[in-house]
Amino acid sequence: MNHRYTNPYVIGTLLGLVMLFSFYTMGRGVGSSATFARVATAGIDLVAPEHAKTNAYFSKYLSGGRSPLMAWLVFLSLGAGLGGLFSAFIANRVKGEVARGPSIGVSARLWLAMGGGILSGFAARLARGCTSGQALTGASELAFGSWIFMFSIFAGAYATAYFFRKEWL
Amino acid sequence: MGPLYKLGWFDFAYGLQMAGLIGFLFGFVLERAGFGNVRKLTAIFYLRDFAVLKVMFTAIVVCMLGLLYFSVFGWIDLGLVYLLPTYIWPQIVGGLILGVGFIMGGYCPTTSIVATVSGKLDGLIFIVGMIIGSFIFAEIFPLLEGFYSAGDMGAVRLSDVLSLNSGIIALLVCLMAVGTYWFVEKVENKFGDRDTLPGGSKRMKASAAAILILLGLILAIVNPDRIAANRPSPQIQTQKKTEEIQKPTTKTEKPSSSKFEIVEDEGC
Repeated sequence: MNHRYTNPYVIGTLLGLVMLFSFYTMGRGVGSSATFARVATAGIDLVAPEHAKTNAYFSKYLSGGRSPLMAWLVFLSLGAGLGGLFSAFIANRVKGEVARGPSIGVSARLWLAMGGGILSGFAARLARGCTSGQALTGASELAFGSWIFMFSIFAGAYATAYFFRKEWL
Repeated sequence: MGPLYKLGWFDFAYGLQMAGLIGFLFGFVLERAGFGNVRKLTAIFYLRDFAVLKVMFTAIVVCMLGLLYFSVFGWIDLGLVYLLPTYIWPQIVGGLILGVGFIMGGYCPTTSIVATVSGKLDGLIFIVGMIIGSFIFAEIFPLLEGFYSAGDMGAVRLSDVLSLNSGIIALLVCLMAVGTYWFVEKVENKFGDRDTLPGGSKRMKASAAAILILLGLILAIVNPDRIAANRPSPQIQTQKKTEEIQKPTTKTEKPSSSKFEIVEDEGC
């Protein structure tokens, strides 16, 4: 395992330039959480197309006449997966495991990952974005709500970090 | 002049390819930072390693300065860049819940993708959870509809709310970033493991901070809002440009040009 990570200020600068490139070329920033909403929509559309069409929220992803997966953020997430894989691969960091702190079991960690995922998926829809699509993108455009959202994320996590310390420390 | 896509430089299909490229770079830099490692991500909430905050703030500052300078030089029309609307109450509550989800699950949406491709099963489970969470949201959406649009302020910027020009806001953001870096480095040196924390010379950090503040100061003096407003009717110019570029494609291939309209334009 290679633990030499790149300096966070260097990464931040590069990430800022990637976002600037995205704004300049496409007129929008990065993001990812809607990908998962679109996957959910595509799944429901496959199993119960009528239900998906009548649902007020799913139907918004079904408009436009193409598959809900033919979307900017879905491709961005696919790219992020490839880019992450490439970076992990050349640093020899690809390893099948359940990442967790030393004092928590595998099944407890997986249940908490599931719970955290459900909360995050729900919250990202409620706030119209996640850490990247709402906080990073919006904040660099100086959008008011995005700054409030970003501070709310840190507030929520710091307020409850104590209760999850056994999972990580 | 950008943004290129909104001015008709490429069509939807090409935009998806751009998304793949931008995503690749995005995922690559996140993994380089160590954001596929869940304990590195959560260390911020135990005051041991503030890499998450440093990366986020630096990316925001760099991109903000880039956008404002591009606007000053006339390289981008910020009016055409999609600005996320503010719905203050769902954003506060959504942020708080997302924060709890972050510390409980260990990831945020994009970092869970990076973790999953690095072989972390918990990252994959987190993704499954997010799909379920989105499904639950959509199913109970009729109950949430009122709250979802609560506190609608429109697409407002900090400069509108604080009634200061964007240049002064940029300077304040730069000052806040430098102050935050200084503070969190003190904290992590106290609580964190110094062997794994990034190094970097004091002189280099001081010069970087000085450059950042200088760039903010120039913007505060130049006032990018005034320059953008004084530019001779950019709207008409851009429309003309779109027409010029669109016309030839309309003639050559009809089906692809009818796809030009931007179908979905949300942030995340």
